[in-house]
Amino acid sequence: MSFDHIMSVTIGGLTVGMIYALIALGYTMVYGVLKFINFAHGEVFTVGGYVAAFSLLAMGIDASTPWLKVAGAIALALVAAVTVPMALGLLIERIAYRPLRGRSRIIPLLSAIGVSIVLQQLIIIVFGPKPVTIPTLALSSASVNLFGVDVRVLALVIIAVSAALMVGLTYLVKSTRIGKAMRATSQDMEAAEMMGIDTNRTIAFTFLVGSALAGIGGLLVVMYYGSLKYDAGFLYGLKAFTSAVLGGIGNIPGAVVGAIVLGMTETYGVSVDLGFLAWFVLAGLALGIYVQMVRVPNRRLAHIAADRRTPEYERSIMNVYRLAPYHGIKTLLAERTDALLSVSAADAVRLMAGNIFLAVLATIMFINSSVRIDTRWQPVIAFVVLMVILMFRPSGILGEAVTEKV
Amino acid sequence: MEPVLELQDVSMSFGGLKAVDSLSFAVRENEIVSIIGPNGSGKTTTFNLISGLYEPHSGDILLKGESVAGLRPDLVHDKGISRTFQSLRLFSNMNVLENVLVGMHSVTKAGPFASMLRLPSVRREEKAMYDKAQEILGMFPGRFSGPRQLQPAYSLSYANRRRLEIARALASDPVLLLLDEPVAGMNPAESHEVMEQIKMLREKGYTILMIEHDMHVVEGVSDRVIAMDHGVKIAEGTYDEVANDPQVVEAYLGKRAADATA
Amino acid sequence: MAIRMKTSSGQDTAPTHGDTVVQRIASAVPGWVWWLAGIVIAAGFPLLNVIGVVETAWLRVGVVSLIFVLLSLGLNIVMGETGLLNLGYIAFFAFGAYTTALLSSPKFEIRWPFLAVIVVSTLVAMVAGFLISLPTLRLRGDYLAIVTLAFGEIVRLTIINLVPLTNGPNGITGIYSPRLFAGAKPALEGIEAWFIIDKPLEYYYLVLVCVVVLAVLLTNLKNSRIGRAWNALREDELAAISSGITAVRAKMLSVVLSAGIAGFAGSLFAYYSNVISPESFLFMQSVIVVCMVVLGGMGSIPGVMLGAVVLQALPQLIREAAGAARSDFEVYRMLIYGILIVVMVIFRPEGLLPDKIFKREAHEVDPRELEMTRQSLFDLEEGEKDLGV
Repeated sequence: MSFDHIMSVTIGGLTVGMIYALIALGYTMVYGVLKFINFAHGEVFTVGGYVAAFSLLAMGIDASTPWLKVAGAIALALVAAVTVPMALGLLIERIAYRPLRGRSRIIPLLSAIGVSIVLQQLIIIVFGPKPVTIPTLALSSASVNLFGVDVRVLALVIIAVSAALMVGLTYLVKSTRIGKAMRATSQDMEAAEMMGIDTNRTIAFTFLVGSALAGIGGLLVVMYYGSLKYDAGFLYGLKAFTSAVLGGIGNIPGAVVGAIVLGMTETYGVSVDLGFLAWFVLAGLALGIYVQMVRVPNRRLAHIAADRRTPEYERSIMNVYRLAPYHGIKTLLAERTDALLSVSAADAVRLMAGNIFLAVLATIMFINSSVRIDTRWQPVIAFVVLMVILMFRPSGILGEAVTEKV
Repeated sequence: MEPVLELQDVSMSFGGLKAVDSLSFAVRENEIVSIIGPNGSGKTTTFNLISGLYEPHSGDILLKGESVAGLRPDLVHDKGISRTFQSLRLFSNMNVLENVLVGMHSVTKAGPFASMLRLPSVRREEKAMYDKAQEILGMFPGRFSGPRQLQPAYSLSYANRRRLEIARALASDPVLLLLDEPVAGMNPAESHEVMEQIKMLREKGYTILMIEHDMHVVEGVSDRVIAMDHGVKIAEGTYDEVANDPQVVEAYLGKRAADATA
Repeated sequence: MAIRMKTSSGQDTAPTHGDTVVQRIASAVPGWVWWLAGIVIAAGFPLLNVIGVVETAWLRVGVVSLIFVLLSLGLNIVMGETGLLNLGYIAFFAFGAYTTALLSSPKFEIRWPFLAVIVVSTLVAMVAGFLISLPTLRLRGDYLAIVTLAFGEIVRLTIINLVPLTNGPNGITGIYSPRLFAGAKPALEGIEAWFIIDKPLEYYYLVLVCVVVLAVLLTNLKNSRIGRAWNALREDELAAISSGITAVRAKMLSVVLSAGIAGFAGSLFAYYSNVISPESFLFMQSVIVVCMVVLGGMGSIPGVMLGAVVLQALPQLIREAAGAARSDFEVYRMLIYGILIVVMVIFRPEGLLPDKIFKREAHEVDPRELEMTRQSLFDLEEGEKDLGV
């Protein structure tokens, strides 16, 4: 478990996480505004990557090309990687989603699935079934020495570019008029319309931004890995969606946090021994217990009416903590237990089930501490994360940002 | 004789807002009790608490002495409480007969395998359900006869849809019937007819708790009236007692009107 | 008493502007005539092969089509009747197929009797359905769809990676053919004492019988108390629960039943194909079954059967006629499926042979639906209970 190893795994996880974040932002923004999962978003990412790759190929650059020409080619590829997905995103929204707004739940989702299938097949028809590869550039293999570890320049570029884009997006959403329109539409579409906001254009704009980010993600992936497969969109899309849910759907910083967490989990999962990973599971368990002992009771305490707690009731709770040394601790424990006891049985089971699951998992991992998960299983990690988060904490790490109805 | 329904000090808040505050009242057997009050006074919240959609934060709800507070709505229905909805929640694409039959779900027991094979026991049960449905639909004479029973619910007139929702609630022989604004949106002739039908239900032995804004109907059918405002019960008694209570007048019409009647 | 209660008219009695002339003629003919015609055609089709008019390859297409008919009938329960979208449906198919392969092949050198294998395969799939539904049925529609997708992929990846059990990407080969009625034939010298099903013709009739029986059972179920409960849940879950329907139990039943049917179909598929590999259980396959249900008509038993046959057999016909290369063909086939889903869902979501209930539901904009888009994952508002539905 050398420092070098940890460093390179961390950088790798961060890099891949940032790519997921670029795609996840599209999912989360569209969900925030339309409460709808844009299933076809992953394919838009793929299209961006393919278009960028072909544009680079068309420029005829390779390892020996002067860097000025390379920079120009990349700039051109960037333009392509942004414009084509934007146009595609707009088209999809207009043709396949807008006619179905408000229909019963599974109908728009079916349309999105259909679009995703169509796009994937079109990619094969237009670009061919073989993965597209770009020639190795000087940039691709360049690396820099950071804290004694060799880090690929491209990795740092990806992290930097993604971070910059996220800052830009946050500014867009928080401080511009269109951003305000997006936020208003996502909170209450009807009210936004009544305030004179053109919701159709706002929604289209949301798709525009999301698709642009995904396209850039495609360009970065093509440059980092040197190639792209036609079905990359499926896996990247699902992982990005998992990231969005992990961080809290509808929540823009959440998508980034979720993506980084997922990227790290995925990379660490297959690069370090179980014994090391077990500590993270323990950390999760500790966090879970904290939430249960502090935050859940806080919510409950607010609801328990004071007049329900008769003197006899209070006394019986206090009896349990007779042995505690200080009155303050007694009261604290008593209040917490009181609050916890008022949690419904089903909630209690659920809370305990999560704790027991994590404890058992950590134990198994410690017992097998020198085992490492094979890379073959890496895709499963993201799917498992998705299922776990939806089962135990669907509102995500930072909490979902979909509106409460008053 | 214990009351059919008893609310004991029931309270519930939404975040900081106390929607229902220490509400207590009882409904006795074969009574019709109406809850009135301005919008936002907590009437429908009370219904939701009774029918299991919300869980009270304190207090208890007893059905024939047994606590039903916080039970799941389908379990509450099993215990014998049926309701209609203010916003009318029919199964619009199912036909009239099917809507009523769904109401009988908890009092019937045909399982999946027996149903697939259409065993004689299932056939018997279906026949009994069918007959019972005819009986219930017959309580609204002339409204649901013959081919109309096979028509989808969305094709019914508004008044018939409200009747159908009541019929669906009656399908399980409820111990307590909750009617949430049964005549909302009806013209005087229609609401008069529904009023007569509610009286007929009382004659048949049903116990009814009703939310209603139409004072004509409230006056016409209620044995007792409960008035609520801001989640609190402000008056209880016969219609005349409650209608003239200054607090009630103030809640509806403001202080000056209350002072005028005092 | 043999009164068949007419609780449903079978056709729309209220005139809707969507009815075409063909539909009006079609609804004039009593239902059972169509069923009879269908059975006659389906049963007579292989005879065309026997007399040499139609090649055996088409018989094979027929068998696979019938297996997909089973699959779409199964998916229809959970998607059409109950309104839950399952994007990982093929995983249950895989459970059934692999269970059969493991119990009746050289892999572990065992050969359980046909009936036992089918029953166990179906049960394994049902258990899988039960386990997946436990934690996930509380989720909202779109999230349930994604979770089922994830589940399907986890199953597939596990099959690929768990080589000691499943032979990984190579799959399991040499699945033994089913033997029926052991002892029925006199044990003469040189003749085995049972019927072996190993020709496409035999499989065709075997699966056809299963299809007919299943269609009858499911039609009965649809018109029963359980079927009504499922439809009620699909229409308005809150009203359904308030009318006494236990949502979790009803949904779980629907998932488990549909999983069992997929497992059953998977078992037949494994026997028929002799060889199974993870390639047959891709996400695309789940989408194809979804497409069949959408095309045929969600909630409509004859509809989804038609959808399955059309989407399995028609591409083969077209391929024959066009003489296209195999791999190109696959791409265009999926392209058409995708376009079909989008087009059907926008213009005719009730499908080719609509279930009368679904028709209007699919078209209208439900104001409550718009309202619900403002709610959280569990459709809860502050203070509202988690109904565990």
